[in-house]
Amino acid sequence: MNGSDIAAQTPFEQEVAQLIVTSLNLEEIEPANIDPESPLFKDGLGLDSIDALELSLVISKNYGFQLKSDDSNNVKIFSNLRSLCQHIESKRKK
Amino acid sequence: MLYLIRWIAIHLGRSTSRLILYPITFYFLLFAPSARRASYDYLCRVLNYPVRPWHVARHFFHFSATILDRVFLLTGRFSLLDIRIHNLDLVERQLAEGSGCILLGSHIGSFEALRALGISKYKLPVKVVMQEEHNETITRLLHSLNPEVGKSIIKLGKPDSLLKVHEYLQQGYLVGILGDRAVEADQTIPCEVLGEKAELPTGPILAASVLSVPVILFFGIYNGTNRYDIYFEAFAEKIIIEREQHDCDMTRWLQKYADRLTFHARQSPYNWFNFYEFWDADV
Repeated sequence: MNGSDIAAQTPFEQEVAQLIVTSLNLEEIEPANIDPESPLFKDGLGLDSIDALELSLVISKNYGFQLKSDDSNNVKIFSNLRSLCQHIESKRKK
Repeated sequence: MLYLIRWIAIHLGRSTSRLILYPITFYFLLFAPSARRASYDYLCRVLNYPVRPWHVARHFFHFSATILDRVFLLTGRFSLLDIRIHNLDLVERQLAEGSGCILLGSHIGSFEALRALGISKYKLPVKVVMQEEHNETITRLLHSLNPEVGKSIIKLGKPDSLLKVHEYLQQGYLVGILGDRAVEADQTIPCEVLGEKAELPTGPILAASVLSVPVILFFGIYNGTNRYDIYFEAFAEKIIIEREQHDCDMTRWLQKYADRLTFHARQSPYNWFNFYEFWDADV
């Protein structure tokens, strides 16, 4: 991954990127190198449904709210780091 | 064709409609060469006597019979079938505690015997995890017979599929997963099934460990004529997969599951419904 041509991460995106890498044990990925606008699942970072579950458990622990499966925006929420962060910021209870 | 079979099953009763199992078996024998090869290969592994064409026919006959019986199961005609449940107390204890668990099954026997009976007769809170594209036509057709059972599907393949599983487990549901068949993108680990290496998907075990719920095995064995035996088996109170020794832990759990596959395959050889190259080719 080339660090120079990706969109810049906001401080909160840096925090969540770090959380993704630690909680999912993505040893070979540098949090700062996750492009906030490129896909998290499949083609992008290559996460799967189990990663999404682990991530949502960590998010509920750290930010005090549970991601819901019946949220029709889930495809969008999980689409990239930026939209995930925006969703967390709008829902977080801590 | 499928509609015709469904019509015959519903209107002519079980014994008459079972007559169509003979032409269906014959059809498979003639026109499904890859399934025929897979059946022959499997039977050579499991039977301790030479495999003849009529053994393959019997294998297809068993498979067709369980598909046909899904019509009777889904339309609630349980009295036509002699279904015996073994170790139901394992599941009842779980339900009494109000905490959900994973029912880990396989393509040995009929999962419908458990699902339809559980939902329609015993009113158990059951959901089944399934690949979206898996047998689309036949699934839709069968589900139209019983929308309540049809609604029990949780489709895989979306980022939030397992969030849904998590929510149902929190509500105390029993969530069924078939753990013996890997689809293309799945990660697998080689395990010994009937003494030789086969790739089993790591997903179900990994999911169970992340969800940290108990796992109970189930096998809905078809024992000929109208007899089904549903077996529940304790598997794990909690599956722990340590990050540092992921492969080692995973292999241990998957092999434990594989051993039960081997046991039931030997016990009821004609219930094996994985009609494709299941074993690693290069062994």
